[in-house]
Amino acid sequence: MLAVPDWTGSLRLLAPLVALAFTRPSRTEHPTPTPLDDVLTPLLARAYGLALRLLRNRADAEDLVQEAALAACRGFGTFQRGTNFKAWFFRILTNCYYARHRRQRHEGPPVDLHETPELYLYSRTAEIGLHQNAADPAQALLDRLDGEQIATALQGLPEEYRVVSTLYLVEDFSYQQIGAILDIPVGTVRSRLHRGRRILQKLLWRLALERGVVPEAAKEPG
Amino acid sequence: MNAVDRYSCEEVFRRLNDYLDRELSPAEMALVQEHLDTCAQCAGEHAFEASVLRELKAKLRRIDVPQSLIAKIDAILSDPGHREEE
Repeated sequence: MLAVPDWTGSLRLLAPLVALAFTRPSRTEHPTPTPLDDVLTPLLARAYGLALRLLRNRADAEDLVQEAALAACRGFGTFQRGTNFKAWFFRILTNCYYARHRRQRHEGPPVDLHETPELYLYSRTAEIGLHQNAADPAQALLDRLDGEQIATALQGLPEEYRVVSTLYLVEDFSYQQIGAILDIPVGTVRSRLHRGRRILQKLLWRLALERGVVPEAAKEPG
Repeated sequence: MNAVDRYSCEEVFRRLNDYLDRELSPAEMALVQEHLDTCAQCAGEHAFEASVLRELKAKLRRIDVPQSLIAKIDAILSDPGHREEE
């Protein structure tokens, strides 16, 4: 049995902020109320995808989506018709995620956050000669890693970078939309996303070395 | 007013992530694009980073939803006891 937190109060307070970030022009001044089923069901695949990439465990991801669906049922009265339901629901989903999993720390080897330069993969792949041998060296490298392996690298990011990066990579939300979902400033989204991207490149390179998809001789100095 | 009519490599480099994410103003997007059209080094770096993002997005989005989850959500949605008044 799932323990379902009551998000209704906080959703009521935050609904206008989310609405501001996601409002799109409405075709009618008085839109017809939409049943929750009609707007939620088409999002299940995306919601499960995000949950799975955040949690890496299918059972936990299913539980998280169920919990978010229950909270959406209970708080649907606070949803402002004509605004972006997907963003509203994903905010519930990420809130449920934080409530359940905030204490979990990422696993894997520690990452040096301060010494990951820009264009990390570009430099590493150039060093092993991939730029001379492949028309698209990034694709040539990443084609050798599957989705689960890439998800493993993503999981290695510290949480503050991981959640922002996952929302961006899996759902393609804009900085403003991510900021509204997580209730953080756009500048924070930008800095976390850019820094997370650099760290992720380092983690992907480590993974490529571990899996033998690039030569051991390409190991970074030190 | 001192309008910028061209970006240097360094200025493009500083904006590369925002350009990839379409988070620059239209004027800045145009200035970056103009530089990429004429600078092979920056264009190569941009193409590489764009390809990394494209590959990551494509691979992370390939997920099958379990039928069991769809059934559970259907059950939640069809239970009037779970609903606040709409």
